[in-house]
Amino acid sequence: MYPAHLPLAQHLRDSHLQSWTQIGSPGDFFSARDRIEMVRVARDATLCEFCEDRKAALSPNALAGEHLSGSSLPNVIVDMIHRIRTDPGRLTKSWFDRITREISQQEYVEIVSVVNSSVIIDTLHNSLGLGVPTLPTAKPGRPQKSYNTGAVDDGAWLPILATEVAMADTGLPRVPNIARSLGLVPSAVDLFFTTFRPHYALKDIHLSISQAQAEFVASRVSALNECFY
Amino acid sequence: MLLRASGQQENKEYELNSVTSEDQSSGVANEEHLRALTEAAISGDWLALPKIRDRAELAMGLQNTVDVLVVAAAFNGITRVADATGIPLDQNTADVTTEMREATGIQRFNYAEKTQRYG
Repeated sequence: MYPAHLPLAQHLRDSHLQSWTQIGSPGDFFSARDRIEMVRVARDATLCEFCEDRKAALSPNALAGEHLSGSSLPNVIVDMIHRIRTDPGRLTKSWFDRITREISQQEYVEIVSVVNSSVIIDTLHNSLGLGVPTLPTAKPGRPQKSYNTGAVDDGAWLPILATEVAMADTGLPRVPNIARSLGLVPSAVDLFFTTFRPHYALKDIHLSISQAQAEFVASRVSALNECFY
Repeated sequence: MLLRASGQQENKEYELNSVTSEDQSSGVANEEHLRALTEAAISGDWLALPKIRDRAELAMGLQNTVDVLVVAAAFNGITRVADATGIPLDQNTADVTTEMREATGIQRFNYAEKTQRYG
């Protein structure tokens, strides 16, 4: 996916390729075609005039309108993807409740995983001046509807991975909450963290920049996206 | 919290308000370039990015420049996972960052306040 001359680690290249193949394969709740369509819709969202107007409004609920283009996905999913892609800082529990009256929490988790894996891959491509990669080709197969029946309510909007509290020397739990957040659907965890893991470490970061520089960048992104976590 | 922890490991004290305020400097090396690269990547300013990359590359080299973008891209995704799942702060983080969250303005991003503000 990345030209050889760029100084990117081999495991990042391999992981992104693996994620792209996974997106082009059936998930647990959506077909490969649907998952690829999620990525396409997420890309459209960055050009969507309605999303631009909505982001400028005092409340994201103040405006009604139509998104940039049609999709084979249901409208509720298209709107969800546009909100996550263009206005993540104003997602709320009541918005989540409205969405999950129309789709299952498991479907919601899979969409979050697919869209945000593609956000990472597309952001890196665009940042390096490469343009976004060609969408993967859909593989045949049916969703297996497999999910984690042992997921627990632990303060998030949806059930998350159950885990024992054991602290690491970073001052964070060995399994921080963010790593538990998609735990309702194990394949969603696998896809997202396969994409994310080669980019960052909580300590002894394996990049050329210092841990402090990485934390500054991470904190700055969190502030720009108005992320509380 | 992790920026503060990095400072402690390096025996340095970084200015945490720099994360939410452009008027303050963190004390992290090459901050100007980290900030410019990150902001262009997250806002999707693809037209401005080539020049920003070139300036950063002159100051800190190609590998550093690419690695800043590697981290920024990752957090552009993971912040959305956090925002979309309402995942709470880890207990220890919540306990030790109360004052810092207030001082830096991060507290206003908490989920309850957002729901009150935006519905």
